[in-house]
Amino acid sequence: MKEEIQDNLIQIHDLRISIYSEGSYFDVVKGLSLSVCSNEILCLVGESGCGKSITALSVMGLLPTDVAQVTNGEILFRGQDLLKLSASDMRRLRSDEISMIFQDPITSLDPVFTIGSLLTEIIRVHRNVGSSEAENMAVDALEAAQLPNARQRLKSYPHELSGGMRQRVMIALATALNPAVLIADEPTTALDVTVQAQILERLRERQREQKMGMLLITHDLAVVAEVADRVAVMYAGEIVEEASVQTLFDKPQHPYTQGLLGAIPDITARRGSLHAIPGRVPPPQVPPPGCEFAPRCVHALEECWESRPLLEGSGEGKLRCFNPQPLIT
Amino acid sequence: MLIVLLISSVAVFYAIRLSGGDATAAALPGSATEEFREEFRARIGLDKPIYLQYFAYMGKILKGDPGHSITNNASLVEMLKEHGKNSLVLGGAAFALVFLIGVPLGVLASLRRNSWADHGIMSFSIAGMAIPNFWLALLAIWLFASTFRILPAAGCCSGKQLILPAIVLAFEGIALTVRMTRSAMIENQNNDFVRTLRAGGLSEWRVMGKHVLRNAMIPIISLAGLRIGQIVGYALIVEQIFSWPGIGQALVTAVLRRDYPVAQFFSLVLVVLVVLGNWLADTGYTLANPRLRRSR
Repeated sequence: MKEEIQDNLIQIHDLRISIYSEGSYFDVVKGLSLSVCSNEILCLVGESGCGKSITALSVMGLLPTDVAQVTNGEILFRGQDLLKLSASDMRRLRSDEISMIFQDPITSLDPVFTIGSLLTEIIRVHRNVGSSEAENMAVDALEAAQLPNARQRLKSYPHELSGGMRQRVMIALATALNPAVLIADEPTTALDVTVQAQILERLRERQREQKMGMLLITHDLAVVAEVADRVAVMYAGEIVEEASVQTLFDKPQHPYTQGLLGAIPDITARRGSLHAIPGRVPPPQVPPPGCEFAPRCVHALEECWESRPLLEGSGEGKLRCFNPQPLIT
Repeated sequence: MLIVLLISSVAVFYAIRLSGGDATAAALPGSATEEFREEFRARIGLDKPIYLQYFAYMGKILKGDPGHSITNNASLVEMLKEHGKNSLVLGGAAFALVFLIGVPLGVLASLRRNSWADHGIMSFSIAGMAIPNFWLALLAIWLFASTFRILPAAGCCSGKQLILPAIVLAFEGIALTVRMTRSAMIENQNNDFVRTLRAGGLSEWRVMGKHVLRNAMIPIISLAGLRIGQIVGYALIVEQIFSWPGIGQALVTAVLRRDYPVAQFFSLVLVVLVVLGNWLADTGYTLANPRLRRSR
C-alpha cells in the first residue's frame, strides 16, 4: 500500500473543467480520474476536442482562467493538491517538478531571445547558480536532447533551427531540471514523420533515464503503440477505457476503442474504403442523457440511452460501458 | 538613402525658387533702382538658369559653406549651430518623452485590459491624437502660464521653459506610442511562447516585462524613426508658438522674409533629419528583430 502511494506521482480525482463561451458555461472535462506513476508512460488518447489538452493545462495550472475553470475535483502531486497551491508555489513546481512540452515547436519559443538565454533564464529562476554554471547545465540538457553542436547552438535564435531541432530545444527546456513528471501534448504532431520517430525515441529514452512519470497526449495510435506503457482512452471529456498497452491493442472492450483501432488503415489490405466511426462527437453544450458514445455506438442498449455507465474495474483495466464487446476481427 | 537625399534636395531647391516673390524686395530698400536690383541678383547668382544654381549651391554645401543670410548677413553655419542646439534640446526632450511616457502607459493598459486604467489611458490617447498641437499649445499656455502661473509661457532655454513646449511637441507621439504598445503587447500575450515560458516557471513579471515587451518593441522601434520626422515637422509650429529659437522658428522667419539661403538651407537640414530618422528606423528594426538580422 505504501509502495503504491509513493509510486503515484500525479493523481487526478473526479476533475471537472468548465468552459465559458458565448454566454454560457459547459463542461468539457466531466469527472476525469487518472494517475501517472514514476517511470511509466501513460498515453491519453482521443479525438480532437475531447478535453485532452485542457486536462494537461489544468495539471500545469495554466488554464486560460478567463475562459476555463476547474469546477470540481483535485489534482494531487505527491499527495499535495495542486489546485490549492498559491500562484508562486505552483510556479516553483513548474519545469522543476512538472514540465510540459507543447505541440508546435515553431511558435512555442520566444523568437527574440537565443535558445541559450531562454534555457539559462529558466534554469536560474529555479536554481541558485551562476551564469557559466547555468550555461553548462543548458549544454547538458541540449546534449541529452541530442541537439548536435549543443554549445554553439546556445547562440542560435529559434528561427535558425529546424522544426525537429526546435522540438529538441523544447525537450531540453522541459527536462533541464530533471522534473518528476513530464507532460507532452502532441509533441510530434507538427513534425514530419521521420523526425517524429527520432523525437519519440529521444523522449522515451529521457523518460527512462530520469525515471520520469510521463503523460503523453496524442491522437495518433501509432505513437501509442510505440511508446506507451498504459493507455487511457478519452471520449467527450471522460475516460472510457484504461488498460496496459498490450491489453488495449489485443483486447479492446469499449466500442469506441474498437472503432479507433478499426480506423487504422491496414496497408496489407489492397482495396476497400477506410473504416470510420459513424457520427460526430456530441457538442459539449448539449450532452446526451445516457452514455456519451451511445448515439454513435452500434451496440447501444436501451439503458445506454438512459443512464451513464461508470468507469469500473481496478488497477490494470478500467472500462465505462454497459455492453462491452469481444473484438470481432 | 543617398538617392532619397538627392531627390529631396532638388525638390526643396525648386520649391523654394518657385515659391515666387522677389528676394530683392526683401533684401533691398524700396528706393533701390532696377539696375541695382539686377546687379544684386547677378551677385548672388539669381540670374543663372535654375539647374546651374542648384549645382553651384550643392557644391558649396558639400564644401561646408552654405553661405550667408541675405537679410542680416549672418553665417548659416553659425546659425545652424545656435538654432540647431536649441532644436536638438527640444526635439530630444520630446522624443524621450514619447517613449518614457508612451511605452509604460501602453504596457499598463495592456496588462489591465478593460479596467478603468485602460479606459482612462485609451481616452487620453484618442484625445492626444485628435487635438491639434497648436491648439494644445495655446491651451497649455493659458492653463499653466496665465491661469496657474507655474510655468513660463515662452522663451529659451531654461529647464522650466522647456517643459511646456516639450510636452506639447511629444503629445501626439505619446498618444500613438501608447496605442501601438498596447496592441502589440496584447497581440504578443496570445503567443504560444508565453505558455512555454509560464510552463518554465517564470513569473508573470518576467514573462510580460521581458519577453512580451521585447517582442512588442519591434514595431515600436521600427516606427521610432517616423516619430523623429513627426517631431521635426511639428517643431515648426511649436517653436513658433513658444518662441523657442530653434531651426523651425528660424525657417518660418526666413520664409516670411524671403531669405532664400536661410529657408533653403534649413529646409534641407530638416529633410536630412527626416531621411536620417527613417534610415535609423530601418536599422533599429533589424536590431530589434533577430529574424531580420542574420538572413542566411
